[in-house]
Amino acid sequence: MLAITLRGLWSHKRRLAGTFLAVLLGVAFLAGTLVLGDTLRANFDTLFTSVTGDTGAVVRSATKVDSSPASPRGPIDASLAGRLRSAPGAAEVQPVADGIGQIVVSDGKVLRTLGPPRASNWIADPSLTPYRIVEGHAPQGLDEVVINRGAAKDGGLRVGDRTTIDTPRPVPVTVVGIVTFQGADGFGGSSYTGFSAAGADRYLAGRPGQVSSILVKPAPGVSQRELVGKVRPLLPAGVEAITGQQLSDESISAINQGFLGLFRTFLTVFAGIALFVAMFTIANTFSIIVAQRTRESALLRAIGASRRQVLWSVVVEALAVGVVASLAGLGGGIGIAVGLKALFKGFGFPLPTSGLVLQGGSAVSSVGVGVAVTVVAGVLPALRASRVAPLAALRDVAAEPPAAPRTRVTAGAVLAVAGVATTLVGVLAGGDATTLLTGVGAVLLIVGAVVLGPAVARPASRLIGAPLRRLRGITGALASQNAMRNPRRTSGAAMALMIGVAVVTLFTVFTASIQASIRQTVSQSFGGDLAVVSSGFGGANTARLDPRLAGEIGRLPEVRQAVGIGAGRALVGGSSQEITFADLARLNGVVGLRVDAGSLGQLSGPRFAVASSVADDRGWRLGQSVPIRFADGATQRLTLAAIYQGEEGSIVGNYLLPRDQWTPHAPGAADRTVLIALRPGTGLETGRAAVERVAAGYGRPDVQDRAQYTDSLASVLGPGVSVVYVLLVLAIVIALIGIANTLSLSIHERTRELGLLRAVGETRGQVRAMVRWESVIVALLGTIGGLGLGVFLGWALVRASAAGGTGTFAAPPLQLAIILLVGAIAGVLAGLRPARRAAKLNLLAAIASE
Amino acid sequence: MARNVTIEPADQTTGVEPGGAVARAVRATKVYGSGPTEVRALDEVTVDLEGGRFTAIMGPSGSGKSTLMHCVAGLDSLTSGEVFLGGVELGSLSDRELTMLRREQVGFVFQSFNLIPTLSALENVTLPLALAGARPDPDWLDTIIDTVDLRERLAHRPAELSGGQQQRVAVARALVTRPRIVFADEPTGNLDSRSGAEILAFLRRAVDELHQTIVMVTHDPMAAGYADGVVFLADGRVVGHLASPTPQTVLDRIKSLGE
Repeated sequence: MLAITLRGLWSHKRRLAGTFLAVLLGVAFLAGTLVLGDTLRANFDTLFTSVTGDTGAVVRSATKVDSSPASPRGPIDASLAGRLRSAPGAAEVQPVADGIGQIVVSDGKVLRTLGPPRASNWIADPSLTPYRIVEGHAPQGLDEVVINRGAAKDGGLRVGDRTTIDTPRPVPVTVVGIVTFQGADGFGGSSYTGFSAAGADRYLAGRPGQVSSILVKPAPGVSQRELVGKVRPLLPAGVEAITGQQLSDESISAINQGFLGLFRTFLTVFAGIALFVAMFTIANTFSIIVAQRTRESALLRAIGASRRQVLWSVVVEALAVGVVASLAGLGGGIGIAVGLKALFKGFGFPLPTSGLVLQGGSAVSSVGVGVAVTVVAGVLPALRASRVAPLAALRDVAAEPPAAPRTRVTAGAVLAVAGVATTLVGVLAGGDATTLLTGVGAVLLIVGAVVLGPAVARPASRLIGAPLRRLRGITGALASQNAMRNPRRTSGAAMALMIGVAVVTLFTVFTASIQASIRQTVSQSFGGDLAVVSSGFGGANTARLDPRLAGEIGRLPEVRQAVGIGAGRALVGGSSQEITFADLARLNGVVGLRVDAGSLGQLSGPRFAVASSVADDRGWRLGQSVPIRFADGATQRLTLAAIYQGEEGSIVGNYLLPRDQWTPHAPGAADRTVLIALRPGTGLETGRAAVERVAAGYGRPDVQDRAQYTDSLASVLGPGVSVVYVLLVLAIVIALIGIANTLSLSIHERTRELGLLRAVGETRGQVRAMVRWESVIVALLGTIGGLGLGVFLGWALVRASAAGGTGTFAAPPLQLAIILLVGAIAGVLAGLRPARRAAKLNLLAAIASE
Repeated sequence: MARNVTIEPADQTTGVEPGGAVARAVRATKVYGSGPTEVRALDEVTVDLEGGRFTAIMGPSGSGKSTLMHCVAGLDSLTSGEVFLGGVELGSLSDRELTMLRREQVGFVFQSFNLIPTLSALENVTLPLALAGARPDPDWLDTIIDTVDLRERLAHRPAELSGGQQQRVAVARALVTRPRIVFADEPTGNLDSRSGAEILAFLRRAVDELHQTIVMVTHDPMAAGYADGVVFLADGRVVGHLASPTPQTVLDRIKSLGE
């Protein structure tokens, strides 16, 4: 039996090509993401270990304002270094002052980097820093700096050049040296500026004499752990010491929990979607092949094969295809990993990947998943094959029952209605069950759509084909009837595309809704005329503006009011929160806040304000006293003095503090934006020109009008959106392979009919058009279904997560129309090969085949 | 869809062949394979198929009768020799021109009906016109529908028709374009004798009343008895002619050829 199966498999390998390709692509994508993940992980491990792993002990503030290992910490006293020098086993003690160093380049703007612009005092001891001077010398004077080679190249700076470093306070400097990061141009996309110790103390430290951390190098023969043991007793309260190894472990786990974890999940989700779509494609192919082999299966049964043997023959076939295709996919995964790397780089996320790492676990799981998906997809068709009555061998049976059985229609309709109902209840009822109900509803709806597919396919194809009939005459009529004649097959092919398109649509609707929501919030709450935001890495969402900028702009005669808004993290009532701080008295007239209770005007001294959603959640009322712990370790009780209406994404966030309550704990804290209202009668362009003149001295941050500012905040999703679309294309491609494969198999079945059409005068062109239009109908069926499903689920998702600030639902008509158009074009593409094959058909053989 | 390929009508300069032949094969040779496996399906066959007549082509299996029909109908090409249809030599035509020729000048009836299952009986009948983007002439359509007695069945799908009815649809489809010539390949092979006789009577009427030219490939002497003349083939060669055949004379001739 096995021999028969394998020989059968070989004899119609062409028919399995589509299945093979679908599995291969799905597995390749999965393997590619795993390989990329493994590679990144290995690279980060080496990177961080080499950066800090050799440092003996790291002394730093023990206060964290964030649960992540990479939490920002407050400064410590540099004078501690003197005491540490006396620690037994300490060979070298190096205080480090960290900060922002935006390098101003020739056009007066700060260098646009692909990572944070970091600055610190230059560390000479090579065992305590990954940077090496490759040109020039170490900084000595207050105004001397070294910069990394990448920044020097991009900014056109050379040793000896004068420029400015915005820390964010503009500091005029001379570049005296170029450094490399372990031989590379820099650390990822970040820039690095090294000041002299005195320079760092003056420009980077919040207050003179403060540093971020102190590195201690062990004397020969002293272990890191021993050194930490010796250092610890010397430390004051609120300061801790850890080994260099612990620090790199922390960084590694931070990146694994944060970026890398997200990154892997993100890619795995897309691999999952691709495989899910592949499953439909595979199941449909097997169904058709099994149907076309009904006679053969029946003959086997008639001459004594058991049901189980017939079942197994199909399962073994699926297994064989799954194994071979998955192994090929694993190979393809390496290529995908390289492609993904290039993709991320192309969209502005260079990944630190050297070499490619494939771990055994990843290889096994990719192949395992691929095989499992294929076999699972093959089981249903196999069961159907095993149920063939031996008598079918003698009768001339139809390849597949044309209509969907009534039970199926009922079941599908019930599921779909239940899905819609559950989703609606979840969305409309709100409360804790929202997410669960919406999720369950979505799953029910998708299952319902899949079950209902065959019943819907016929009338839907008729509908979609109707204009075709009118426009394309008999070719269109034949195409639409061919799409209708086997609804199960048509729906099987369309479903795969439907799922893919649904995900694309969902994503489109969701991102558009987030953007619409941000726009709405910003346009409601921003009452000014102009906004200044950083033009460097992170743009409008990072705090890198000199806090003096707002004051200077405010003194312009053209400006009525200017307020600087900054942000940072603190523990508010024990939980880590993003805090916005500003001169609250100046908010009036620039930021429109609807105050529910209390007054912002009275907000001076130890008081603060929160959004009403926060007050509701935490049960706070006016007059409530809340302990706030700042990064410098100090805890202060502030009184709740105002509650305003606000959604996340609004300019002032959920927790608002007066600037004078924040800055004592973070001197020189940078602003994220300066919001400006012009004096009445001042033209926008006049005002903009005046503000730009002031901003020129601060690294030329972008000066934006309302529309530009709204756009820049709404583009927070930025290039990530494009990456997602590219990743989703793969699922669509797999679905198209499914359509092409289904058509090819159908054409194989209709050989005689095609021959007859040719004999009575259908040209090759007409044959091609007929197949192509059928493909378009199937593709449109899937696309329209996917659009409907995606818009509905998108709406549900937006509503369900309304608490998260995406309350505005937007279904962008242009994008949706583009999806529909792309679906139709995809149909044409999927139909190309089958159409060509149909047109090439040998006429005589077609008629003669009895 | 371009329909600018025109095949010269038979009654113009190139005209009807001498002797009134609508189609003719001249030293038509068709060879399959080569070397030791070479098969000569047609071996220098020369035959005239006269207009307005019902001609039967007979011969045992492998005699080349189907191959001859396929070549004359523009479905297959010759290895050597020439085939003329309405004065046009088919060997010089492109695939597209051949398609146009079949569409406009040739009708087919096959043994296995070969209807399009998704189209109704009427749509199947008018299919060749639809493919050409042309509208049927209502009078002519009525005439042929009545000739094959299909009026009651026009809205049915092929699956809802009996074998005889399906073949009547096929005959109507073959006639609908007023083709220069209709080829029928064992049209009664899949039918019971009563339905078969009906079909043959319809073909006969098409010749007598509508002045259609019909060429029928068959190995059934009863069927050949409806024809005006019979051409006998054996081993790819023409081995005899018979005018005004009856089943008995055909049978006698077959016997004599077998000796």
